[in-house]
Amino acid sequence: MDTWRLIPFSRHDAFENMAIDEAVLRCHSADRIPTLRFYGWERESVSLGYFQDVERELNCSLCRRQHIDIVRRPTGGKAVLHGSDLTYAVVASASQPPFSPRVLETYRVISECLIRGLEKAGIRADMVREGRSVHAGEGDSCCFAVPVQYELCVGEKKICGSAQVRVRDAFLQHGSIPLTFDGLRSRMIMGLQGGEHGGVPDALTRSVTSLQEQLEDRASVERLCEHLAGGFEEYMKVRLILADLDRDEEIMKEELLRKKYSQLQWNMKGLMVM
Amino acid sequence: MSAFPDDLLYSREHTWIRVDGNIATIGITDYGQDKLGEVLSIKISTPDSSVEQDEPFGMIESEKAVVELISPISGDVINVNEDLIDDVGIVNSDPYDTGWMIIVEMSDISELDNLLDSYEYADYVEEDEEVD
Repeated sequence: MDTWRLIPFSRHDAFENMAIDEAVLRCHSADRIPTLRFYGWERESVSLGYFQDVERELNCSLCRRQHIDIVRRPTGGKAVLHGSDLTYAVVASASQPPFSPRVLETYRVISECLIRGLEKAGIRADMVREGRSVHAGEGDSCCFAVPVQYELCVGEKKICGSAQVRVRDAFLQHGSIPLTFDGLRSRMIMGLQGGEHGGVPDALTRSVTSLQEQLEDRASVERLCEHLAGGFEEYMKVRLILADLDRDEEIMKEELLRKKYSQLQWNMKGLMVM
Repeated sequence: MSAFPDDLLYSREHTWIRVDGNIATIGITDYGQDKLGEVLSIKISTPDSSVEQDEPFGMIESEKAVVELISPISGDVINVNEDLIDDVGIVNSDPYDTGWMIIVEMSDISELDNLLDSYEYADYVEEDEEVD
């Protein structure tokens, strides 16, 4: 049976979380086994997609006043509010079956793993077969507003938002699974108009669900990680072995943190000096 | 089957290069754009910057992924396709003509020996498709 590495669950600030994900990606090569990671966020943070315009798509003054960290991801997609979510990350080679050179096919494979993991946790999730265009207008700065093909929903509500980056044959896909979801707060932070009217939840709140909403008994984050990890083992038919970053990855992480993710010019403008 | 014009050279990172003396025009192949899906955004090297063979010259976003663009050649960037700012979709619709990305004055023409002709690239694509 093939093996994957499972990095033990940990919580870091937004900048270190992204530095770890990208370090694992940059150090990945065809002779390394795939990596699975689950992590949390030390404090409330917003992560933006690589190409997003921070000033236009985020309420930056609110983030500053409330000490919400802003980090630009190495991956695409839209903004995600973190702090009340569980985040997963997968790094592997796109040419290694069952992954694919085709981006959406890789999404499908990882979604299959997550579906099985969520099922172990007691949640019946399905894949979106026909996603909405990412050109959607209302709420389009927010990841959870736009369900894309092969993303996961429970009924009509999105339960996981994911994004991917590819560097040659290696890819990093990471995603957010809300433990709880505050649609009004997400809208405020994304600078979106509108909100609850007369007790009726806004469109964003109606389109997103969370583990708290789906589960009667609140499971620990660690238990959830076990379930999700089990989903990967089951679908991919692999054995997960616990291991932290190796020395090369640690060095790469520190460099990325110092030169990229701690820098305003990267997080706010997407400009790099490395 | 994707098109592989035989007046071009190709890289394993799915970029094409049209050579005219020591000037190279670069873009991504039809197969490359098909793998990506609908292109949404692009960021590429600016004029007066330099690129290196097998190193990134930009990033491209499609549907749900950001992908590094890898240069097939080394040299100085002398022009970029500004039409991509207004209509990045030409990367999908016309990858070999109006969808070109950068023009480079090559610094080492021998690097062309590392690239593939249209037949070799077609074989490479066939292997890649078998992974799918």
